[in-house]
Amino acid sequence: MNAPITAKILSLNNIEVVYDHVSLAIKGVSIDVPEGGMVALLGANGAGKSTTLKSISGLLTAERGEVRRGELQFRGQSIGGLMPQDRVKLGIAHVLEGRRVFEHLTPDENLIAASALHSRQDMNRNKDRVYSYFPRLHERRTVASGYLSGGEQQMLAIGRALMTQPKLLMLDEPSLGLAPFLVAEIFQILGRINRDEGLSILLVEQNAIAALEIVSHGYLIESGRIVMHDSAAALKKNPDIQEFYLGGAENKNFRDIKHYSRRKRWLT
Amino acid sequence: MDAISLMESAANGALIGLMYSLVAMGIVLIYKSSSVPNLAQGSMTMLAAYVVLAFANSAGAPIWAAISLAIITMFIIGLAIERVALRRLAGRPIIMILMMTLGLEIFLRAGSMTIWGGTTRPMNLGISDAPLFLGPLLINRAYAFGAVVTIAMFGFFVMFFRSRVGVVLRAISDDYTAAWSVGISVERGVALSWAMSAVVATIAGVLWSSVQGVDQSLAQLLLKGVTVAVLGGLDSIGGALLAGVLLGVVEGIASSVLDPLLGGASRDLVDAAMLILTILIRPHGLFGRHDIERV
Repeated sequence: MNAPITAKILSLNNIEVVYDHVSLAIKGVSIDVPEGGMVALLGANGAGKSTTLKSISGLLTAERGEVRRGELQFRGQSIGGLMPQDRVKLGIAHVLEGRRVFEHLTPDENLIAASALHSRQDMNRNKDRVYSYFPRLHERRTVASGYLSGGEQQMLAIGRALMTQPKLLMLDEPSLGLAPFLVAEIFQILGRINRDEGLSILLVEQNAIAALEIVSHGYLIESGRIVMHDSAAALKKNPDIQEFYLGGAENKNFRDIKHYSRRKRWLT
Repeated sequence: MDAISLMESAANGALIGLMYSLVAMGIVLIYKSSSVPNLAQGSMTMLAAYVVLAFANSAGAPIWAAISLAIITMFIIGLAIERVALRRLAGRPIIMILMMTLGLEIFLRAGSMTIWGGTTRPMNLGISDAPLFLGPLLINRAYAFGAVVTIAMFGFFVMFFRSRVGVVLRAISDDYTAAWSVGISVERGVALSWAMSAVVATIAGVLWSSVQGVDQSLAQLLLKGVTVAVLGGLDSIGGALLAGVLLGVVEGIASSVLDPLLGGASRDLVDAAMLILTILIRPHGLFGRHDIERV
């Protein structure tokens, strides 16, 4: 565990989330994102990745979830009690799983809708910036977004989030359902935005191979708990990660036997 | 039945239809920005007419001042309805929200009966009773005035939904959660749509009560409003306009042909038939959005 010494833009300390007052979705998650850093949160389906992001963006309330314990800090400020739009105002942007573009609006209108907090000048400047990162959106800016391809919709979802002038961009499974070359293209653009603008990024992914290529650090979440945290390079070499997330198992039978016990160790 | 009087029925029907559109527009406004079908639009229209009268009679304001004051009052009432009755239902099953609007409809109607009683009161806008002559056709001045106002409102809302605020409202109706995620205050957007809808109800209430007086029967405009809104496609302002004209013309012709035979109720029959057939044959209406499915 080599925690970075740089300033943290986001820090989660022992967050616990409950849905409908009963079901415990995440059980004590602690994550740090350094200022200007790029961090991945990896894990399988249902591990609590999306819930973690929603606890940060405040979208839990819409699904009757609540943060019951722990502390959420954004640049040293506690944000646990803020409404979603106030968190956006602070600079937290959440790109939802499944893209969720405004389907009946054109890409241009999607970007306009996302600038509710900004002046017209800011909006136009942000639009130019988004179109320069994603020229394809500019070509398609007058079509109803529901008719865009999956890759274009993902670009639009990211572009829409950028319209809010975030300091921290959180992405939930941006690679979901996209062809590998598109994943590569989108991740490359994310890397560029991170480098050029110093935008901090928290990337939630099942696709660990692609994610570990661009982030500096990664967390592994299982059944609502963080079970591993290390640099991307170290994670790539870790035999457990290789086996479960990178598909690197060679002598299959032997590993399958160990699988269960190792999983169990993480859970306890 | 000669051709002239048939054309006359159709022409007046079209104008009446445009006034139906105004009621439907209130329903569409709310649907377009929060996907809630508002069944209280009829009694909001009625309430607005009473509010105008309250300002004009009790406070002694001239009618145009009373209307302006009523518009402001109804704007606030619209905000209040959203805040008190609907905000806490956000995210609940649509059937709950639908029942809530039905409850509001009944509450407003019964409340107005308690406060103002059931006698019909006149609303005098100073429009003369003398008909307009359009070639050989006699046109009712009040209907013509109502139609012009409706078209003006239509133009306003078409522009509005292209504006930044309008785009935000459309985004909210598309996806609440995604709207929250980009910093849109969904609650405020929905509240604004209720307020605007209450203003539209005020204008509809004034126009309709200048024709038929102020009483609880104004709330029955809900039926016309719902039919026109569904026929036009619930989220289309333009659809509501055309559907209103269509319904008005069909009603006008049908009633002048059928009323002598059936003895009266043919307008409502046409209305119900339109609503039922639309839902059976073309549930998304003339211009409603389909849910987009990519292939």
